[in-house]
Amino acid sequence: MTKRDRVAAVGVGYSTTGRRTGFSSRQLAVQASTAAMADAGMGPQDIDGSTMLWGVAGQAPPGLDVSDSMDVAYSLGIGPLNWWNSGAGPAYVGPAIQAVAAIKAGFCHTVLSMRVIRQRMTSAEMLSESAAATPTYGEDDFQFVVPFGSISPLQSIASMPMQRHMALYGTTEEHFGNHVVAQRHFATMNDDAIFREPLTLDDYFASRYVSKPTRLLDCDYPVDSASAVIYTTEERAHDFAKKPVFVEASAFSSVKYLTFENLDDILDNSPIHCAKTLWSRTDLKPADVDCAQLYDGFTIIVFQWLEALGFCGRGEAGPYIAEGHTAMGGSLPVNTDGGACNVGRRHGANFCIEAVRQLRGDESGPRQVPDAKVAVWANAVGSFSGAMLMTSE
Amino acid sequence: MTEGIAPQPLRPLPNPLTQFFWDGAMERRLLILQCQNCGHHIHYPRPVCNRCRSTDLAPHEVAGKGSIYAYTVTMQAFHPYYVDKIPYVVAVVELDAEPGLRLTTNIVECEEEDLHTGLRVEVVWTEVASDLVLPMFRPAAA
Repeated sequence: MTKRDRVAAVGVGYSTTGRRTGFSSRQLAVQASTAAMADAGMGPQDIDGSTMLWGVAGQAPPGLDVSDSMDVAYSLGIGPLNWWNSGAGPAYVGPAIQAVAAIKAGFCHTVLSMRVIRQRMTSAEMLSESAAATPTYGEDDFQFVVPFGSISPLQSIASMPMQRHMALYGTTEEHFGNHVVAQRHFATMNDDAIFREPLTLDDYFASRYVSKPTRLLDCDYPVDSASAVIYTTEERAHDFAKKPVFVEASAFSSVKYLTFENLDDILDNSPIHCAKTLWSRTDLKPADVDCAQLYDGFTIIVFQWLEALGFCGRGEAGPYIAEGHTAMGGSLPVNTDGGACNVGRRHGANFCIEAVRQLRGDESGPRQVPDAKVAVWANAVGSFSGAMLMTSE
Repeated sequence: MTEGIAPQPLRPLPNPLTQFFWDGAMERRLLILQCQNCGHHIHYPRPVCNRCRSTDLAPHEVAGKGSIYAYTVTMQAFHPYYVDKIPYVVAVVELDAEPGLRLTTNIVECEEEDLHTGLRVEVVWTEVASDLVLPMFRPAAA
């Protein structure tokens, strides 16, 4: 099957990543983009489109600088631009699918697509003297949750869906721990990972609860980070340094206004619709997928995507993981870079980058999935999400 | 934290579309925006009925009875006000007034081991400040 009009990912890169790196948003964006251009063996003159999503997950520390795709392109020497976008979307999959769509529509041929994220306020900052002295208000829809102490996205995105999954399906805390342990094992083989020490189930159970049943180890790790992926046309894809990886299909879904706690179903929401759309756009089936990179802002989201994408039945993610399918050597290795819990919060971009590296076939060292030809990555949950199926051929 | 200055509770910032909800709470009445054309309850409030597109909407008093849809016992304070209040229970309660009509709230007067999805609950009006009354819920009387 030769589809000459596909879009390909040809360059990937990360910035310096860590807690309070001291770099500004623009500096982080330029670092990641420069790394992606070097990875592709291209220069700014090869790029004519730019898209990014910038933000902070949660309360922003004061004095944060904002960046946008035009500004970053300027600093990189890219221009004039044929297309750009700095708008919102469901985390990194937003600018990823926007880039693919812009290329497919012919607005541009090569797009730099970025996610720049800054670390939110720390727990200590949230409990500071100035926080105590400043009245806190919930605005808009948040006025119906904030006065009840539903303040962290964790409570509505992680804890209540986890609790309901346990209540409906008999999922156990050990099931969640199985995933955390299996995912960390991949991180031990990834030099880009922040956490590389192996974990046991005992370690999981020793991790403190933040809001039951969510433990600290169920949460992605907040960092300053920028991630960049460069997409181009199939026609140009072979002109660059690395083996191109092709976008076989992609899909977005939005099922309600932006809310996590007030969805029609707190468990079965946009990923169900998104996955159905994704599979309708390809001849490939879930059984054809060699590895899956599933957003792990919180552990339960991996469960939701495993079920939504049809790798297991509804409610069966716990036993599926316990059987070892998602672990190293399993039938469907999941989050083979260690996930955002271990490489740091990148709001989905690490999953795209890991899918690309796995499908290149020679960049993942001991965590390489043998003969990987098809990878799916998925991002966000709740009222909005997106997913992309990628192939090496 | 500064000695002697108690952190204030987190507050709603009502707008013209939502003011009725908080005014009702001060009177211990649970008011939900309702479509006068088709009867659908619209929460969170929106200026148009998402079922029939009518703009003829008005607050409707509903019984403060329902059941727990999902809950979490929060163990970490994310704001100074909660430092001496953890653990506390955040829950989504489905009201009897209409299937799918849900509120985020707190469950009080309930032991943790008694919490479960489907638990019948009733509203208990809780004054957290002289000008702020919140609809919390507790296990319903048998």
